[in-house]
Amino acid sequence: MIETIGVSKAYGREEYALQDLTLKVEKGEFVFLTGPSGAGKSTLLRLLLLQERPTSGHVVVGDRDLSTLTPNEIQAYRRTVGFVFQDFKLIPTKTVFENVAFVLRVLGQPVEQQRRRTYQVLKWVGLQHRHNAYPLELSGGEQQRVAIARALVNEPHIMLADEPTGNLDPDLSIEIMNLFREINAGGTTVLVATHDRELIKWVGRRVIPLDHGRIPGSAPAPSSTEPLL
Amino acid sequence: MIVISYAFDEAIASLRRSGRSALISIGTIAIAFITLGGFLLISVNVQDVLDRWLEAAEISVYLQETAADADRVAVEQFLRARPEVAAVEFVSKEHALQRFRTDFPELADVTGSLSQNPFPSALEVRLRAGGDSTTSAETLAKDVAQKSGVADVQFDRTWLARLLGVVSSARLAGAVVAGILMLGAAFTVGAVVRLSLYARRDELEIMALVGAPFSYIRGPFVFEGLLLGGIGAAVALMVVAVLYYFAGQYQPVRFLGYGEMALMLIGGIVVGAAAGTLASRAAHR
Repeated sequence: MIETIGVSKAYGREEYALQDLTLKVEKGEFVFLTGPSGAGKSTLLRLLLLQERPTSGHVVVGDRDLSTLTPNEIQAYRRTVGFVFQDFKLIPTKTVFENVAFVLRVLGQPVEQQRRRTYQVLKWVGLQHRHNAYPLELSGGEQQRVAIARALVNEPHIMLADEPTGNLDPDLSIEIMNLFREINAGGTTVLVATHDRELIKWVGRRVIPLDHGRIPGSAPAPSSTEPLL
Repeated sequence: MIVISYAFDEAIASLRRSGRSALISIGTIAIAFITLGGFLLISVNVQDVLDRWLEAAEISVYLQETAADADRVAVEQFLRARPEVAAVEFVSKEHALQRFRTDFPELADVTGSLSQNPFPSALEVRLRAGGDSTTSAETLAKDVAQKSGVADVQFDRTWLARLLGVVSSARLAGAVVAGILMLGAAFTVGAVVRLSLYARRDELEIMALVGAPFSYIRGPFVFEGLLLGGIGAAVALMVVAVLYYFAGQYQPVRFLGYGEMALMLIGGIVVGAAAGTLASRAAHR
């Protein structure tokens, strides 16, 4: 379970990215964070990934208040969280395989296990045939699938995605959302920040709208069960 | 072990990427350690010479022409009772003249024309080895000069002790200069490590976000500094060996001992690793 209790995040004296935000996401849920640019979606994800600390309030994941974690505990917590960004954040000098296996390598896993698990996730995202390609040789959709494979390779409990389809055309966006739905079906809690209302409609999951760092009101879960593709 | 192998591989890859800046860093470390090694080489050889001189150093106690046998025996007994004295030998006037003739045969004409023997009889005192007994030997020289029948006392070790003092000061000055150069070298290593840190900032961000342990994030940079320092010190050792070879053409000298070589190599590794460790703190900021 993810819970924010009265969380505010200020940049400077008056500029609040989040203001007294209280929300709850149940374990295994798939939730969209939506709202216009500057609504606070990315800030909330950064707080969940501990890239930043709240100015006030508490962020609780499972039974841990993230503000109490030591640097080593932060790293241990991050191993349970996968992340996907709009700009993919792939390492251009590493191949597709190396980009994904890198996570397992820096977590000290044995080489054979790295290889096996990496091919497994690359196969799952449909890119096993491009394992020797470099990121810049791939299309935007393929790069995002590599980023998803990298986020998944360590079997995270939580998946955070910040505008994961922002650079993709509608067909590829649906393809990526299908992957997130499958990840969620495996029991992983998924939080996707997007302002793409069409896509939210297609997927049909709970939406947490944000505006100027606040929740104007909880949106009811859409009833759409339409197939995506 | 996995983290060490990872850090080592990444450090080697980073050094290859750094190219010229890594070479500059190795060069500055090497210059610092050539200075240190040069001072060490000079100091061990000067020390060897001084030690040899010190072992041979004597106190010569010249007796008065009028000194009675009883005085001589009393002085001899006094000397033998002192712990810093290794041996006492009586050299009579005749023996002294004979020794002079043997040592300087080309001056035989001069000694042959002398109407009387100008050499005084003397007690030659050999001291125990070790520079730290200099002070007590000086006291001994002063004490024996007060004894009845003693005309003069010559103590060779006094000027040697002064020379030792000069050598120690020079060694200290060398260590200070090498220390300052090493500090400069450490800054250069730190700068090179920070450059590679900057070059890998995207990778580091991802490492931090996937929860890589800090040993994996910082380890490669510590190893990079360690390798730069170690290679720099090894290069310096080779340069000092070349200097030794050329110096050996003119003067028999000995090379650094294992201890001194280890000091240089470990020094380089420690300085490099410390600079790398400090620079790597920025890796997870």
